[in-house]
Amino acid sequence: MSYNSYAEMSYLLKTLTTKEEIDRVIRDTIDEVLVLRFGRSSDAVCLQHDEILAKSVRDVSKFAKVALVDVDSEDVQVYVKYFDITLFPSTIFFFNAHHMKLDSGTADHTKWVGAFHIKQDFIDVVEAIYRGAMKGKMIVQCPIPPERIPKYQLVYKDV
Amino acid sequence: MKKPSKKSEIEFCTVCRFHHDQGSRHKYFPRHKSSLSSLLDRFRSKIADVRFFLKNPSVLRPQEQSQNRVWCVFCDEDIVELGSSFACSKAINHFASSDHLKNIKQFLSKNGPAMDCIDEFRISEADVAKWEKKCQSFGNEDASFEGSCGQLSGTSNDIHTKLAFETMDRIKKVPAHHINSYKSNDVMPLQYNTNEYQISLSEIPGVIHNGSYLNMDDSQFPLCDESGNGFGEHSIPCRSKDYSGNGNYCTQENYQVSQDKKQIDGSYNPPGVVGMTSISSSHSTDAGGNVHSGAPPPWLDANDGDFSSVQLNQSDVARFQAKVPGKNRKLNPNRVGAAWAERRKIEIEMEKSGHVTKSNIDPDWLPNFGRVWQSGTRKESRKEFEKEKRKLVKTESISTESEPVKIQPYISKRARRESGE
Repeated sequence: MSYNSYAEMSYLLKTLTTKEEIDRVIRDTIDEVLVLRFGRSSDAVCLQHDEILAKSVRDVSKFAKVALVDVDSEDVQVYVKYFDITLFPSTIFFFNAHHMKLDSGTADHTKWVGAFHIKQDFIDVVEAIYRGAMKGKMIVQCPIPPERIPKYQLVYKDV
Repeated sequence: MKKPSKKSEIEFCTVCRFHHDQGSRHKYFPRHKSSLSSLLDRFRSKIADVRFFLKNPSVLRPQEQSQNRVWCVFCDEDIVELGSSFACSKAINHFASSDHLKNIKQFLSKNGPAMDCIDEFRISEADVAKWEKKCQSFGNEDASFEGSCGQLSGTSNDIHTKLAFETMDRIKKVPAHHINSYKSNDVMPLQYNTNEYQISLSEIPGVIHNGSYLNMDDSQFPLCDESGNGFGEHSIPCRSKDYSGNGNYCTQENYQVSQDKKQIDGSYNPPGVVGMTSISSSHSTDAGGNVHSGAPPPWLDANDGDFSSVQLNQSDVARFQAKVPGKNRKLNPNRVGAAWAERRKIEIEMEKSGHVTKSNIDPDWLPNFGRVWQSGTRKESRKEFEKEKRKLVKTESISTESEPVKIQPYISKRARRESGE
């Protein structure tokens, strides 16, 4: 897994296709933030998101790892369901195999939905998560101002 | 019937050094008794020292006068030996005085339960008289009190030879006729310097050193510890054979002399060194440097090797610490998933060391996740999910249609759940 390759393009971010791979990544990332992007590489928003991730992975490499999950594969559906992923791209953060929540003022705190506007936003979010996790907090406040947070509607089953 | 303890005023006990309101009963308390006994023991040893000089009067070198002090506990005063020609003369006189006796009695009545040890702390008149006779006999032998060195060495043959007399032994070598009587009682920090004396011996008889002395930085003269302050007016007591009179020499000679220093025999031990142990400068020249020559101190020289190794260790440590990539060196034990991380690290270590580990991860393992619509703990959300999964499996087995994997950007939960159920 060459997350820390320096001459990177987006294709250097590892794409995971099986639950086992995901599990391995989650379990092997110790004391670092794990950023799992669930999405489709063909989707435009996903592409933008992936670009930002790829550019930032080196900057956060000391305290974070990034991986992409292709939601179209069969094996990962259990996770898609488990994580309640309905919108793409969705980014979920883990720390020591524990899920980190992010309160960005949206309805869903369990993940980040949509793409980041700028590289720095992503780095800020990852840093906020890392700091919170190091202090023992499982939910952190999003440092990005609301105008740069993608808005979406979350539909509950009964609605 | 117990007498009620009467409260007396608060007083300060000088022996125990604290305040108490026990009044006159205080001196019987064990704590007071022990502190008193230690105090008296200390004073007894001081008295013993003085008694030694009582039996063996010795000269008191002027430069040591200020150092010879005795604090009399009973009289609460410091006895400084200024202007006395013999060691502890003032102390002896004090301890023999009637004032001192009175003070002892007073002290013991106030602090000590027993009055039987008075005599230990004073010197009797008879002893003092004997001592004075001895001093006079010393004085008569030679005009200069330094000349008493020869006599002193005779009297100091007894077993009690103490440090004070060890230095006297060196003075033994001094032939008396070399010594000029040092009548002046001014306390000078330094009468002269050995090297100065050597200078005087070799080239110029009698050199005064003044503040310019400090300019001399030749390493051969390590004894330049004190510059003569205001020395100009006083003659150097120790003279060479050639020289017999006082003289004030101009500083120019001083400077010239400094250039000639090297010619001086380093190992010369000048006679008539008044109370000064002249360290032969040959010892010091080997060191190859002293403060005045700007050489590094010996401890630094010795540690040159150690320093480099120490620095190396520090850099090693720094490098090691830098290797830790951006994490806290000591990770917060309260961080998220700390316990899991520790366990995982151990597992990885075991894997690395080649132990057989369960490489098959449970396919049903799920990370700790708090679901979106759950309202309980994360475990509950997992249980809920497990339940759903079981139901899903059931329906799957029933219908061939797989669960809607329509991963479209917008799936209504209701549809998903319904189809799942």
